[in-house]
Amino acid sequence: MADIIFIGLSLGSILLLIALGLTIIYGAMGVINMAHGELAMIGAYTAVMAGIHLNLNLILAIPLAFLVTATLGWLIERLVIRRLYSRIMDTLLATWGIALLLQQMIRLSLGLAFFGITIEGMGTGLQSVTLPEAFSQVWRIGDFVLQPYRSFIILVTLGLAGITWLLLYRTAFGIQVRAIMRNPEMAAACGIDVRRVSSITFAYGSGLAGIAGLLLAGLKTVSPDMGASLVVDGFLVVVVGGVGSLVGTIVSAGLLGQINGVVAILSNDILARALVLGLVILVIMWRPGGLFNFKGR
Amino acid sequence: MSAPALTLDGLGVSFSGFKAVDGFSMVVNAGEVRVLLGANGAGKTTLMDLISGKTKSTAGEVRLFGRDITNLEEHHIAQAGVGRKFQIPSIFRDLSVRDNLVVACTRRPSVLSNLRVKRSADERQRFDEVVETVGLSGSLDRLAGALSHGETQWLELGMLIGQGAKVILLDEPTAGMTQGETMKTASLINTMRGSHTMLVVEHDMAFVREIASKITVMHLGKHLAEGSIASIEANEAVRNAYLGSGGIH
Amino acid sequence: MNLSFHQRWELFAYAAFVVAILLLPLVADAFWLNRFAKYLVFGMLGIAVALSWGYAGILNLGQGLFFGVGAYMISMSLKLQSPTSQLPGAQTPIPDFMLWNAEPDAMKDLCCITDGSWLWIPFQYQGFGIAMAVLVPALIAFLIGYAIFRLRVSGVFISIITLALVLLVRLVIIEFQPVTNGFNGLTDLGWLTLGGVEFDPYLVSTYYIVAIGTILVLLLTRLLVAARAGLILQATRDDANRARYLGYNVAAYQVFFFTVSGLIAGIAGMLYVIASEFASPTFLDLAFSVSMVVWAAVGGRSSLLGACIGAILINTVQATASESEMLGEAWKAIVGLMFVLAVLYLPRGLAGLARDLLDRLREQVPTRRGALPTPQRSE
Repeated sequence: MADIIFIGLSLGSILLLIALGLTIIYGAMGVINMAHGELAMIGAYTAVMAGIHLNLNLILAIPLAFLVTATLGWLIERLVIRRLYSRIMDTLLATWGIALLLQQMIRLSLGLAFFGITIEGMGTGLQSVTLPEAFSQVWRIGDFVLQPYRSFIILVTLGLAGITWLLLYRTAFGIQVRAIMRNPEMAAACGIDVRRVSSITFAYGSGLAGIAGLLLAGLKTVSPDMGASLVVDGFLVVVVGGVGSLVGTIVSAGLLGQINGVVAILSNDILARALVLGLVILVIMWRPGGLFNFKGR
Repeated sequence: MSAPALTLDGLGVSFSGFKAVDGFSMVVNAGEVRVLLGANGAGKTTLMDLISGKTKSTAGEVRLFGRDITNLEEHHIAQAGVGRKFQIPSIFRDLSVRDNLVVACTRRPSVLSNLRVKRSADERQRFDEVVETVGLSGSLDRLAGALSHGETQWLELGMLIGQGAKVILLDEPTAGMTQGETMKTASLINTMRGSHTMLVVEHDMAFVREIASKITVMHLGKHLAEGSIASIEANEAVRNAYLGSGGIH
Repeated sequence: MNLSFHQRWELFAYAAFVVAILLLPLVADAFWLNRFAKYLVFGMLGIAVALSWGYAGILNLGQGLFFGVGAYMISMSLKLQSPTSQLPGAQTPIPDFMLWNAEPDAMKDLCCITDGSWLWIPFQYQGFGIAMAVLVPALIAFLIGYAIFRLRVSGVFISIITLALVLLVRLVIIEFQPVTNGFNGLTDLGWLTLGGVEFDPYLVSTYYIVAIGTILVLLLTRLLVAARAGLILQATRDDANRARYLGYNVAAYQVFFFTVSGLIAGIAGMLYVIASEFASPTFLDLAFSVSMVVWAAVGGRSSLLGACIGAILINTVQATASESEMLGEAWKAIVGLMFVLAVLYLPRGLAGLARDLLDRLREQVPTRRGALPTPQRSE
């Protein structure tokens, strides 16, 4: 039973990283980023490419993945999102289009496939990452087998959640982000450069997604469409936990990850997902603000 | 003996212990223009929210011409005859002025009764009257969102008249208006007096002087005083609570 | 009938479209007609999205749910009519997949051959299948709409719920393999039979069933939104609270039009099966549901004809592009790019672009009377 919980936790961790990025972006900017899953996918491909072309192992590739996806996120905000602030719901559509583009970019090896050039590590097929040596050792605590890689995932996630918390609640930048989350017009009136903060926020959220994708690459095969289900799961977590609530997102990710994991093992994967979906629908209808949203009237 | 237009009886609402409106009672007679005064935070807008159904009350009653409309759903209260004009003028910005008024003048609100294209004679007449009253006949085909601030307020007012509302709640109807626009609004309200009952929240005292039949003062969610302008100006408690000792200007 | 400039052109566009659709068999062979019939079905889906999204302001990301249910309903009847379901010695027709999955000693009858197979019993009557294909998606839409709109769920949460629902139902269909044949879907279907005539998907008459269905849906929906209720619906989209305070039961309007939209999608599903002879869980893929929104966005989310044409156009080009794998992948990238550009620069889609061009042309060309005609509105 303990290892079932453990697996659930590690899945929940990746879910949490995705959801963290989503909730910050949606909470601070009202932007529904349907390209978030694809950003994670790019993070995974960064890991693949770094391994092949730069000989970097998974751990060393983390900052690279963050950089790549954060830059991509920043570009997306500057070029596309910025023009849609007057009609924010349309960001859902625009980012979906960007998601399609990103997927195809990978499939077509950045367009070079047209010229017959193949880039190793990209293309329509599956890729994979080999885990560093350090992870092949297995630790035991009594009967319980502690899988090192899954533990690594949980640790990295906790670390990033902690950093995010510090950023949001202990820095001047974080105050600005939270101010914008509460009331963007008032924040602007107080002299906060909403545009700059928005770009950086979007970049940060994207970076988190990139790392999530990289971590996922160590667990599953990497393919251009691996991101599609991630954004859906991510949004389910955000909506259940309460938009903009850090604690809510953490609890919700843990909860949904656990439920999914437990039910998947106890009966089957399909039923697990169906159950989670049904649960989310009920939560939205019962408490539209999410489980942890205690805003007043 | 006909019931007064609007009767509030011990109306109150409490948000986690904080009483935004507390045991408020008031009677407004048909055709009256009652002005509601009070400092910011006195509970005036909340009171309007309670009457129109935007917020559910936790105590007391609201009666419209004797009919209990307490805590009904917004559209039922509206159908009963209450119209509400918001502080930030809310009209259908993406529709034309004409369409805004057509929507307002429609007699029956249900989906099935509106599966038709033609307007009834009654609706046409009401439409024409409203257009005449608010003076927007030149702007009918413009997009409502393109109207000036003053014109938007009058459009909203026109929609309320077209709605057939008998009791109209006006929340700062002259906010953001020029002197000229304020005076036009005052004459509009005076034209509507008698056939409509109005409850007006306002801060512009010159405007209040033009339109008020009677004034009710609210303070901290409670009913503080009521009477003509002169009696309110002279009222010690009102002075202390809200105006300082400088009097009404 | 006194029509404004825009109304006259709209009438012309509708008429041109109807004529083009009806005359297509003169220039297209059976293979292309069949393909085009499917695009017409997608056009219907574009209409459903435009109604829900453009007019009602409800972004349904799970329209495929109604499409898929409609498809499965008619498929069940058509499956039972298929030669592959006729088993000598059996009392009732039995779908082949049920036979393969049955216990060796199970009774060869629809009532009990596998778990849940009795659900198929009434589908032996084709009329039942047709009726269910129309009614069940509408009923589901009504129930979902009622739950969502009574609770005043709004904005992005509606999109998330509808998205979660289509994914959920897709999983349910896959899970209940004994009844639905899971991942494989329902294939080897019989042909639709009306009045003794069999409708082979490659017949011209089958094309006309789809074409006339699409035209009827287009025209009826256009009339619906021209009604007062359509105007009020747009008002609720613009400012739901304002509509409430004018006395309108906003939820009732939303439920009504959401249901109509689901009904259209369900009928589209039925027509799709008639043209393509299969139903599959892929109809409930998220990507498919979202692509319907893409079609409407490109064609014009607030224009029924625009969304319809947008859907047909994108799918026609996509099919041509998919001839080669490289081109197919590149086309998907182009669709993505087109979509982003449409959202950024053409918020009213191609229909909006057409309207703007028309306005600009009118300003350039002086009329015979030497002055611009003033817009009249019909009452």
